[in-house]
This record gives sequence, structure tokens and C-alpha cells, in this order.
Amino acid sequence: MLSGRELERYDRQIMIFGEEGQERLKNSKVAVVGVGGLGSPVAYYLAAAGVNLLLVDEQKPELSNLNRQILHWEEDLEKNPKPLSAKWKLEHFNSDIRIDTFIGRLTSENVGEVLKGVDVIVDCLDNFETRYLLDKYAHKKGVPLVHAAVEGLYGQITTVIPGETKSLREIFPNVRKKKGKFPILGGTAGVLGALQAVEAIKLITGIGRPLTNKLLIVDLANNTFEVIELR
Amino acid sequence: MIMKVKVRYFARFRSIVGVREEEFEVPEGIRVKELLDILKERRPELKNEVFAQDEDADVNVSKNGRYVSFDDHLSDGDVVALFPPVSGG
Repeated sequence: MLSGRELERYDRQIMIFGEEGQERLKNSKVAVVGVGGLGSPVAYYLAAAGVNLLLVDEQKPELSNLNRQILHWEEDLEKNPKPLSAKWKLEHFNSDIRIDTFIGRLTSENVGEVLKGVDVIVDCLDNFETRYLLDKYAHKKGVPLVHAAVEGLYGQITTVIPGETKSLREIFPNVRKKKGKFPILGGTAGVLGALQAVEAIKLITGIGRPLTNKLLIVDLANNTFEVIELR
Repeated sequence: MIMKVKVRYFARFRSIVGVREEEFEVPEGIRVKELLDILKERRPELKNEVFAQDEDADVNVSKNGRYVSFDDHLSDGDVVALFPPVSGG
């Protein structure tokens, strides 16, 4: 049951998916894997919507992260691991949700234990090696996986549903390993991260049509949103 | 025989060639990978792009809005889009 406070807090979105949709969000848990440029807006908007979170990352924020990783502040630099840094702000933002954390790197050994019981996985990682690990786990357990990646003013997003769509590895069988640092603007990660958060909410509440079998390509330099059919 | 295909560039590729799309006359029935070779010849600024599918993969291709592999054949009037997969987060 939603409390009176929750009915008021989520009033504007209950207008979209009803109290039933809000109940679903309240009873769900989403894994945000990577709490950086994408993970910050994803976790922020999911917390705003009343979704319980699992935040996964092994790093501590660095100064050069702050142009995009908006959940981490100067006081967190080199000090608070990203999941804890984000958890602290998000708990002050929405005290009604539950936020679990895992500080460490996902491996084939620990992924089953770490992601146990999550309803949706949101891929906010910066490398395909770990993405393939998420993909494999998602298929083993039948959990939807919302993928996005960004670089510069450009990004891609698609939703993988085991049994319904291609796997992430089938869509991106090989991606050239980036050497060193890549260019990125905070706003680009903000756009793609906001899309990922909406995608997760669509999956949980059943509203709209998720980006299944579709790759949305966002090119902010050239003002284009292009949907490519993956089937 | 000659056919016409339209090539649309995204992201980095668009910055490199400086146009959104352009039409090419190519031999009839060629495969995607052959089109990529032709592109490198006619657009020397793309010569440093690998256009590979192996571990150096740096391009994804769609034909008429659908994802295709490098072995897919092209037909007259096809619209081929090239976009680089990105990996940052």
C-alpha cells in the first residue's frame, strides 16, 4: 500500500501509470551497474520515481569525473566509493526508498550473488568486457537489461529482453577497446541516462513500448535521434 | 551494371566526411563489406577508419533502417547507415 505521503510525492506520475504502477515501482529493485556519467542520472531519476536501487561500482570519484558524474561532489573526491557517495545523496533526496550497494568489480564469480533478486539491470558501464558479463547473467536469469553507452556528443541505447531480443553480444559482437580516456560531455550522459531511467520505468510499470529490438542512436552534435531495427 | 546506394553517416563518420548523406554509384549486387572498401577509395578521409568486424570493430551498419552484417547484399536504392559503436559510460 502507498502511504499518503507517497500518493502526494508521486502524484504527477501516478497520473501516468496509476497507483498500481507506483506500487510496482515501490516493490521493484533496479541494479545500476556503474555509478558514473550514465549511472548518476539513472540512479537520480529512478530514486525520484520511487524505485529501490542496487548501486554497483568499485571506484572512488576523481576530479576529472565531475564534469558528468553529478552524484559525486568535491567532498567525495578520492574518499567515498561511488556507490556510497551516491547513496548518501539519494537517501537525503528520497528517504522512502531502499538503496543497497556493492563496492567492487563484477566478476563471473560474484555476479550471481551481487545481482540476485533485481528486476531490471541498467548498464552504465564503460567497457564491453563487463557488459558481456551482465548480458550473460541477464540471459541466465531472464532479467531485462537496459544498455547505453556514450562518447562525446553521441550515444546509443537499447533494451535487451532474454528470449525476445538479440543479446547484447549479438548486437555488438566486437567493440574496439578504447585506449585511455575518451571525450564526454556531462549533458550527453544526462540525455542517455535519462532515457535509460525511463526505459527501466517502462519495463516495470508496463507503460509505453520499450526499445526492444531497436537501437536508438542519439547524435547531439547533429540533432538526430535515429531508431534502427535490430531484428 | 551499376546501381545507386545512399550512404548516411553518423557521429564521428559525419564529422569526418562533413556531410549527412551522399549517393554512390556502385557495381550491382555488391556486399556491405565491398561498399565499405569503395567508400575508403572515394572518401580518402575515411582511410584511417578500420571498418572491421573483428576485435577492431569500429562500425555498425544498417540497411533501410535494419541492422545488417558485412556479408549482406545491397540492391539499387538501398540506404546504408554507418555508425560507430561507443563504449563509454
